[in-house]
Formats: sequence, C-alpha cells, structure tokens
Amino acid sequence: MAAQTLAEAAVIEGNYAVAFPFFGAERRGAPVLAFTRIDSKKIYSKTQVYAPDCVVVLDDSLLDTIDVVAGLKPEGTVVINSKEEPDDIDLGVSVRTAAVDATSVALEILKAPITNTAILGAFAKTTGIVRLDSLEDAIGTRFGEKLGKKTGERNALAARTAFERTVTGRSRGVKKLEPKKQWLPTYQELPAGGALIEGKTEAGLIGPGSFIENKVMGWATFRPLRDKEKCTMCLLCWFYCPEGTIVRISDRGDLMTNYDYCKGCGVCANECPVDAIKMLRARV
Amino acid sequence: MKKVITGDHAVAIGAKLCRVEVVPAYPITPQTLIIEHISDFVYDGELDARFLTMESEHSVMSAAAAAEAAGARVFTATSSQGLAFMHEMLYATAPLRLPVVMVNASRTLGGPPGIWCEYNDSMGARDSGWLQVYVEDNQEALDMVIQSYRIAEDKRVLLPVMPCIDGFVLTHTVEPVEVPEQRDVDSFLPAYDPDIVLDPARPAMIGTFMPAEYIMEMRRQTVEAFESAKKVIKEITALFARSFGRDYGGLIDTYHMEDAEIALVTMGTVTSTARQVVDELRQEGKKAGLVKLRFFRPFPSEELREVLSGIKAVGVADRSISYHDGGPAFNEIRSSLYGMNIPVIDHLAGIGGRDVTEGQIRKMFEITQRAAEGEKVKIINWHNTRGETV
Repeated sequence: MAAQTLAEAAVIEGNYAVAFPFFGAERRGAPVLAFTRIDSKKIYSKTQVYAPDCVVVLDDSLLDTIDVVAGLKPEGTVVINSKEEPDDIDLGVSVRTAAVDATSVALEILKAPITNTAILGAFAKTTGIVRLDSLEDAIGTRFGEKLGKKTGERNALAARTAFERTVTGRSRGVKKLEPKKQWLPTYQELPAGGALIEGKTEAGLIGPGSFIENKVMGWATFRPLRDKEKCTMCLLCWFYCPEGTIVRISDRGDLMTNYDYCKGCGVCANECPVDAIKMLRARV
Repeated sequence: MKKVITGDHAVAIGAKLCRVEVVPAYPITPQTLIIEHISDFVYDGELDARFLTMESEHSVMSAAAAAEAAGARVFTATSSQGLAFMHEMLYATAPLRLPVVMVNASRTLGGPPGIWCEYNDSMGARDSGWLQVYVEDNQEALDMVIQSYRIAEDKRVLLPVMPCIDGFVLTHTVEPVEVPEQRDVDSFLPAYDPDIVLDPARPAMIGTFMPAEYIMEMRRQTVEAFESAKKVIKEITALFARSFGRDYGGLIDTYHMEDAEIALVTMGTVTSTARQVVDELRQEGKKAGLVKLRFFRPFPSEELREVLSGIKAVGVADRSISYHDGGPAFNEIRSSLYGMNIPVIDHLAGIGGRDVTEGQIRKMFEITQRAAEGEKVKIINWHNTRGETV
C-alpha cells in the first residue's frame, strides 16, 4: 500500500511510476518487500529493484536479520521507522539516513500500528522525490476510496506528522552483517517431489520442525500479558492461538506464552472472556 | 487363464492382480464397470483394499494423492468430465512424485455432452505431469495396468501413469483376454516401497508451499523424471515380454515399417483396425506401414524420428482437436520431425465417438500416398465430416 501510494503521488506530479509487492505466505506481520520505480518517462522494466536509490524500512527489527542496504547506491538514502537517532543506527555502512518513530505516530493518529502512510511522510521529507501535498492527495484517494474520507484524512495527517518529526543524519558503519544463509539445492540435490524429512544443512534445519529456527518475536508490535489473578484457566486463549505459542504446564495447572513465536496478533486477548489478557507494546 | 471380458473388467482384474491397497472412486460412464468390479472384489474378499466412495472426482484425486503419500499403492479410474473435474489435483500429484495409476476411459468432453470415444479429455491433461499410454485391445488394457505400476513406482520415475482405454470400443466390448497368474504378477511387481511417506513416527513434509527459489528446480527435476521414464518404459516392456510373452514395443509399436514408404501414426483402437488395412495394402503391393503411438507422455520424439527416417510421407490419425491447426498428435509429431523434410498430414477422424472404419483409414493412406508422390494435398483433413471433402 505504501509503495502504491508513493507511485500515485509521483503520477500526480506528472511522472510515470510503477509499484509492486513481493511476499510469501500471507501472514500479517511477516516480512514483505515492495518496490516503487519513478521516472519522468514510461518505465518498461518489470523486474525487482536490485540497486535502489532509497530503502524504506518499516520495522527496525529487520536490521538485525536482513542486510537492508544490500545493493543501495553509495549516494543513496535509508528511511527507517525507529525510535533511535539516525546517527546511532548501525547499518554496516555509513549512508544518509533518516529516522522517525512511525509506530508511535500511527498509534497516536490511527490507533493501530500500521505505519505505511506515516513512513511516506518521512520519505517525502528526506528525499524530496515527491512533495508532501501530492502525497496527501494520493493517500486521500487510495485510502479514502476504500476506507472512507475520514480514514483518508487521518492517514494524510499521519504522513504530515511523520514529515515534521523526521530527523536526518548518517548511519554508523560498524557491524558486519553475514549474508543470509539459504538452502538452495540444485534440481539433482532436491529430494524427489521436494519431500523432506527432518534434516540439517549448512543453512540450518530443513523439513518438519525447521520453523523452530524462525523466531517471529520481531514481527510483534504488541505482546500479551496475562493477569493470573483474573485468569479462570478456561483455556480459550490456548485453543485460539494461531501459532500455538501458549503452552500448558500441566503439573502446575498454569499457562506460559512462548514469546519467541508470538507475533502479537492479539487473538488471545480478544477471545479472553474475563479480560485477563492485555496487549502491551513489545518494544518501547 | 483365458476369459472373455470387457475392457473395464480387464482393467479391474489388472488392478486386483497388482494388489492395490486404496481405491478412491466416483462413477462415470464408460468407466463405471471398472469400479463396480473392484467394489465386488473388495466386498467378496478377493482384494484386500480400502474402497472409498468419494463425493466427486476432485476428492477422488485428493484422496488418491494423500493415500499415495502415506505409502499405499493407489488405483482409480475416471473419464471425460470426471477427469476435467479432478484437473487441479492432477497437477498436485505429478510434481510431488506420487505414482498413482488411474485408468481413463476415453470419452468426449462436453459440450456438447456425449459419452463416446474421443481423446479431448486426456489431451487436456497432457501437461499435468502424468504419463499417458493409449491401448488398442483389452489384453493390452490389463497388461498396461500391471506395467504402469512397475513404471510409476520405479525410483528413477516416481510419476503417475494414466492408461487410456477407448470408451465403449474397449470398455464395453468383450474379447478374449489371457489373465496372468497372481504369482507371476507378484514376481514381476515388487511391493511399493517409497523412501519418504507421511508417517507420524517419522515426520515428513510433502507438498508444502514453495517460493520461487525452489519451483524452477522442482519443474526441472520432473522433466528429468520424464526423461528417465523413456528408458524405464523400454526396460519394463522388455521385462514384461520376457515374463508374460507379450511384447508391446515400448513407447511406440510398429507394423510393417521395415521397408515402408508411407506411414500412418495411430493411437488406441484405430491402430487395431489399421493393422488390417495395412495387410490389405501390402497384398495390393503398396509399401504402407503403421506406427502405434502408445505413450503420448513422455512423447517418443527420438523413436519417431528414427522409425520415420526415410519415409516419403506420414499421416497422423487424430481423435481430438485443439481448435488450432489440427489435432494434438499431429502437432507433436510435426514438431518431432522438424528439419527431416517429411510431409506430415493430419487425419481427423472418430471425433465424438464417430466410428472409424477401414474405408476411412484407407482414405488416410491414399491422401498420405499422394503427398508422398509430391502432390499438394490438404494438410488437415476432416474424414467423414459433412461439408468437408477429403
């Protein structure tokens, strides 16, 4: 949605723009990629962007796991949703960097941790590739048409607020990010039909149970906190948790949440009949 | 033991002799007799199998793939609209390398609705990853069920196989069939022994979501399995001939091709009638030969190039139409012969189950002969079709 809205803003200013997403299994909170290309003439390239002028990071927990600046042009810019000052952010290279706490902006104005409009305000301020007013128009059209005029206006306000709060500096280039290891077998190495039993490769576990390595706590904006006094042990939360992160400790008649795999969806809090579960900001 | 039975009955006996373990089924004319016979075998205790009456063909193939993934030898049969209805699940079975065997009773795919023999049902599945073999009599129908399991379950192949038997021309026609002895089939066909199965004691993943990083390799691997299948089919045909005394030739079979000047390529039961026409033509001193296209997948390009090299013109009898430039067999054969400078003539006949007579087959040879003599003939010929002239 952010990539599309940015493209629309560029078109409002008389440019040509293309935006497209790239994602795997659809799960809210899972890391996704989206690309926008902007030019003064028609864009023919239908490929992903490998050498961007600007990288926008909507979740700074990705900085620990993904080399977000891979391919970024040396004179390029990074825009990050982060509470930190840009000069304190270590990207492994020193590049022009802007930071804004878009999550707080979104929570204040939209009452939800949906940061795609706020971050666009930061993008406009930092790069000047689109103006704030065309961005607000684009947000009004794309969000307003689907979700109503009020929602469009609130999202435009989120963009403007983030625009005002964005701080620009230069990232630190200290840490060394190992390229992400991935199991990429040749067609001869791939077991027949892609059938897998539990296995270990240089890139980590494969087959059943391998997702144990795929900790998702970084996806969470909120995490559940259960009030043991209020809890009646009805087990509805245990039953409804889509990730199976609530574990029964049978000998103590208690529950435990495995935060490594909780992505903070809030289903447990929503289902709890006695309001014993509160969702709290995961990272402050 | 010799029995006078229908093609459907022969197929059912073939499945029983293979000791199939799971049979999910949904009835459709002209396949119905197959599953009725198997149902009887199970009920009478002659076959120790789970017979599952499903609510649709889509569910039949879902159950078939799942049972196969759990390590069972699976058999089913369908036809026409039923095959179309399970189309999605055909694509789930082959790349996951689940060697199901399913007989298709060839029948026209509506509309307009009809029940008689035509290949447009199975031709729609030619890119689904299933091996396809077309048979010419009830004996071959039975024998191909047995050979299909041996081919499908070979570790170099691991692909599903679809023997196609002509609706009514075989399914509902009785003729003498030599029924193999159980012990001979047992020694020809070892028990199914897959490397990875869905077993809670040894967890496995089969058919999970895959991103673009893997799917090209999956496809490439399946193509490799098709290549291996060509070799395995030849081996198994030879082994079957040694074990049972009936040699079907492999990917293709030939008749009087040694010194032939013109050839007709046929599939299914048209082959049987055409053998007789070739005999007549030979008596008249004409050097006509016959190539039986047995396997349509994998497609025997190399074999066709070899057997048709030096031939002056080739006719192809097509029992289905692709609405563009003739029938599917014609198009594949013309591609296979690319660069050999042999005229290839399409003969559309028997579509919708219209009877293909000796007279029509003679006409196919006549037109092909004229092409061989350098006459400019129509490339696509509709035989016995009102409004068309051949």
